[in-house]
Amino acid sequence: MAAKIIDGKAFAATVREKVTGHVTRLKEENGITPGLAVVLVGEDPASQVYVRSKGKQTVEVGMNSYEHKMDVDTSQEDLLAIIDKLNNDPAVHGILVQLPLPGHLNEDLIINSISPAKDVDGFHISNVGLLGTGQKSMVPCTPLGCLMMLRDHHGSLSGLDAVVVGRSNIVGKPMAQLLLGDSCTVTIAHSRTKDLPDVVRRADIVVAAVGRPEMVPGDWIKEGATVIDVGINRIDAPEKGEGKTRLVGDVHYESAAAVAGAITPVPGGVGPMTIACLLANTVTACCRANGLAEPEGLTA
Amino acid sequence: MRAAVIDGKAIAADLRAEVNFEAQDLASQGWQPMLISVSVGDAAASEIYVRNQQRQANTAGVEFEARNYPAETSLEQLIGILQGLNADPRVNGVIIQRPLPDHIPVKVLQKAVHPLKDVEGMHPASIGNIVYNDLALGPCTAVAAVEILKTLPLQMQGLNVTVIGHSEIVGKPIAFLLMSLGATVTVCHHMTRSVAMHSRAADAVFVAVGKPGLVTGDMLKPGAALIDIGINRVETPDGPRTVGDADFDSCAEVAGWITPVPGGVGPVTVATLMKNAVLATRLQMDHYRDAYARTDV
Repeated sequence: MAAKIIDGKAFAATVREKVTGHVTRLKEENGITPGLAVVLVGEDPASQVYVRSKGKQTVEVGMNSYEHKMDVDTSQEDLLAIIDKLNNDPAVHGILVQLPLPGHLNEDLIINSISPAKDVDGFHISNVGLLGTGQKSMVPCTPLGCLMMLRDHHGSLSGLDAVVVGRSNIVGKPMAQLLLGDSCTVTIAHSRTKDLPDVVRRADIVVAAVGRPEMVPGDWIKEGATVIDVGINRIDAPEKGEGKTRLVGDVHYESAAAVAGAITPVPGGVGPMTIACLLANTVTACCRANGLAEPEGLTA
Repeated sequence: MRAAVIDGKAIAADLRAEVNFEAQDLASQGWQPMLISVSVGDAAASEIYVRNQQRQANTAGVEFEARNYPAETSLEQLIGILQGLNADPRVNGVIIQRPLPDHIPVKVLQKAVHPLKDVEGMHPASIGNIVYNDLALGPCTAVAAVEILKTLPLQMQGLNVTVIGHSEIVGKPIAFLLMSLGATVTVCHHMTRSVAMHSRAADAVFVAVGKPGLVTGDMLKPGAALIDIGINRVETPDGPRTVGDADFDSCAEVAGWITPVPGGVGPVTVATLMKNAVLATRLQMDHYRDAYARTDV
């Protein structure tokens, strides 16, 4: 049996469509345009690509995009002052500080200086705690995207056995919380887990987020299980020519696709969902800031 | 019977002695730990808990003051009272007693306590810190249950643990505390298809559901540790009795260690509150010194 391939690109497009619909409605009915501010410190090439892509997609769905590019040697005080200004700017509903920051800046302190209501990355300690206590919060984009894809594929997740491999703060832990929120029985496995293959084999849903290329082979997957591969790893691809590389996930795609019921490819699976969810979070933050109902289909 | 019965009272006494030592050290630096208990409305409803906390505070070297406010106190007034306590340097921790009158949402009050004075570990920032592996101030019951497990000769790294119950103040924080200790944790709840399948695979089982007799001996792996957090009043032919969520007799036949109810997690929970009081006091002392008392010489 060949697995259904969950097309993240197509699904992200439907999320952006929903976002566009909500943005249009907010403009027409409430006279509000959601705004996302992105702060980039330094000139890291990868970060520049991300920031450009985020800005472009923000404008495409009809929102305002504010970019703040700052010198690599920007002081902590100056960065905090910019964040304070954005926190108090009613036109800005979401604030994202592009990580990683240069070494002289205290990342935790900077992230926790963002107003939790505008923290569209969901990394502020209060948002982590609100999610942990089942309260309204800003949810990190990648796990939110995974949840949306799982809901779309399964309908209800209630009662399913889910295994999250990896316990990172930005994916594994919030993913586990979200799956518990949807009434899955959740196991969080990690590098210290004994008999990892057996643990994974029990699962109806496997979310792999460890950052190790093709670590999960097909014979760890229960027949018919849904596999969400969050990993993005670049490996050598001599078959494509000398010095060539290719992207693979944390799951060995071919062998897993032969047993799974559904699987996300890498690239083109979880990746495209992340920015779409950032846009979704900005709309959510905008609705909450204005005392409006939660935007349907965009929240946990 | 094969299981060793875990003596929660003895663990609590050890913990209080440790806290007392810490409290004296803090007091000698001008930071005598002090807790304020806030109850609203009918004081009788929480009286047993308050009295017990008062007694344990005395033996742990922590000052304790119980305040009761009338039932008609508004939410705004209560938040103002908490802000006053937040600003008062003599107060190191605030306990919000339950039940509260219907017009007072408990989560709003918990959020109004400053995270550095959150000795109950209920503020979203406290829970967030636990999720992020900073284990300073955690919810008392969850921390107590995990502390009990840590007294057993078990290697936490790679330990398979099943937590039954995913409440925000007990089940979930237990899962995150254990995960940061390196355990592999499975969280089960009322929608779980087969709790027994998961509990039988576990080296340690935590149960916090509020259903007497939920866990029976045949659901355990022989030799496993069973930490029972439930407290249920049941009627028996011999009169009312307090029991946990586990069927003690059948579980004790199979488990390696088991906590009794009462006398297991309960006493350790109150001792953990005192432990949080000295932790909070130390955090405040450090914070104060960083913010105001750093001098260049």
